[in-house]
Amino acid sequence: MNPRRIRDVLRTILLGVLSAIIIVPLVILFVSSLKGTRQEILADAGSWRAFIVADPTLKNFTDVLSPRSLTPFLRYLANSALVLAVTVLLTIVVSSMAAYVLLRGHFRGRKALLAIIAALYIIPNETIMLPMLYECLGLGITDSYFVQILPFVASPLFIFLLYQFFAQVPSSIAEAALIDGAGPFRIYSSIYLPLNGSSLATVAILQGMGMWNQYLWPLLSISTDNYRPITVAIASFFGSDTILWNLAMAGSVMMMMPVLLFFLFFQRYFIASVSSSAVKG
Amino acid sequence: MKPIGRGFVSWVEVAMLAPALVLLVMFLVVPFAMSIGLAFTNQPLLPGPIPTKFVGLGNFARILSSVEFWRAMLNVALFTLMVIPLQCGFALWSAILLNGQNRAKRLFQGLFFLPYITPMVVVCVVWSTMYQYPSGVFNSVLGVLTFGLFKPVEWLGNPHTALVAITMLSAWQAYGFQMVIYMAGLQNIPTDLYEAAAIDGVAGWRRFAWVTWPSLYQTNVFVLIITTIQALQLFTQVNILTQGGPQDSTNTLVHYIYRSGFVIQNVGRASAGSLILFLLIVSIYGVMSFLTKNDPTGEKP
Repeated sequence: MNPRRIRDVLRTILLGVLSAIIIVPLVILFVSSLKGTRQEILADAGSWRAFIVADPTLKNFTDVLSPRSLTPFLRYLANSALVLAVTVLLTIVVSSMAAYVLLRGHFRGRKALLAIIAALYIIPNETIMLPMLYECLGLGITDSYFVQILPFVASPLFIFLLYQFFAQVPSSIAEAALIDGAGPFRIYSSIYLPLNGSSLATVAILQGMGMWNQYLWPLLSISTDNYRPITVAIASFFGSDTILWNLAMAGSVMMMMPVLLFFLFFQRYFIASVSSSAVKG
Repeated sequence: MKPIGRGFVSWVEVAMLAPALVLLVMFLVVPFAMSIGLAFTNQPLLPGPIPTKFVGLGNFARILSSVEFWRAMLNVALFTLMVIPLQCGFALWSAILLNGQNRAKRLFQGLFFLPYITPMVVVCVVWSTMYQYPSGVFNSVLGVLTFGLFKPVEWLGNPHTALVAITMLSAWQAYGFQMVIYMAGLQNIPTDLYEAAAIDGVAGWRRFAWVTWPSLYQTNVFVLIITTIQALQLFTQVNILTQGGPQDSTNTLVHYIYRSGFVIQNVGRASAGSLILFLLIVSIYGVMSFLTKNDPTGEKP
């Protein structure tokens, strides 16, 4: 064999090894969710039987979804989905309006304001969570949908990202519209928004992924099942002595499925969004 | 509507900017300012019998002299030292494997990115069955590979292995992010560098060491800093799987803040801890801007 051929074989083997490391936990997740009992999952965990299911059943799913279940997963899923949808929508509207005005507004100090907002990006969420909890307890808005949505709507990262995307639209277009008598909101809504569909999608994907994974903040601010998101609900399985692995797996699959389907259809946008957040942010 | 010149206030513009500014002030500036103010008091989370009073640097003195805090700092440092080579190494390795003219590139890229889109809670559920004692995937595979010499370990329950277990899980979940950054970095390397290397007969490992690695300087700095900052913020998987235990062996800075503020309900001390975390992160960003400005390859950021 010539060296080139050897290199190709080696490359294929390495890709195979990496793929196995990546795929094994995910296969275990989906296979285990179809096993009937927690004992079966645990007994199979250390052998090849972790990858097959002898007697597949959807019982775990019907169990966690049943309205009489101690773990009302439909409720948790709906809570997470609602918070995600409203937050993403509001984020897009609020951040894009702010980005437009910071870019094309007619007042002094726009650049300074932009610099301040960009500088706020350095404050990580983790460092303000506890004071924010104290603030929200004072405002009396804990244990609600509001408290899960409002803190995440205006984010320095997204305002700054959209500002940079909007800056790529030639300013002559806005000036022409201004001469034709269009006001700021008109120029924003009928020129900047339609021209930046993919930038708005980037913000939606990044914010959507972030919201679906919210854990620390709802753990602090939510105290009843009415508003509890699915992340905290699944994590609470770990609190008991005998973890109901079968139900935890079913819940996990239900949490994973929407992301997975979305990713399968929009893979390219997902990866482009993540890389643009890193490069620009 | 008439165009508005300089010096006039456009109420439409004010209305478009206001929601963002109000929310930024309410949920970023105010809590941050509060954390500075509260850090010097003994404020409890809920109103209690003891009146709030100014305690000066008391919270900081208390934190900096506590064994639990330094154990958390040590854990974060150990975690960072383990996760950077593991996570970034895998990321660079995958990016290089995918960088060639591979027809299956999109398929593998999508596959390698799957852990990153998998919610951390879900990762915790699956990996904790893999870490099961005595017969999880890890114990079984290591047992088979060493012909039974490896004695099963209670990965998450043993103070010597718990942090390693958390590290492997975290690297698996998050490495797709670094991979995407490395893929972009590799694509930015000018092809004439490789052509020149080919003319000089440089190939294989030497080509990586002499051309690829030095050209990735800016990418490496960025990846290193981002991974360090993410490591400092380690919380979710620790909170779910070990609650900082056993024997504080997986406690982290954010988990320490969470415990002080939420479990012990001392917002003053949690705020002081938050400020320490903030200062650490700011200084890491400082290191990043120093490193990017002093690029030995002479390239401008």
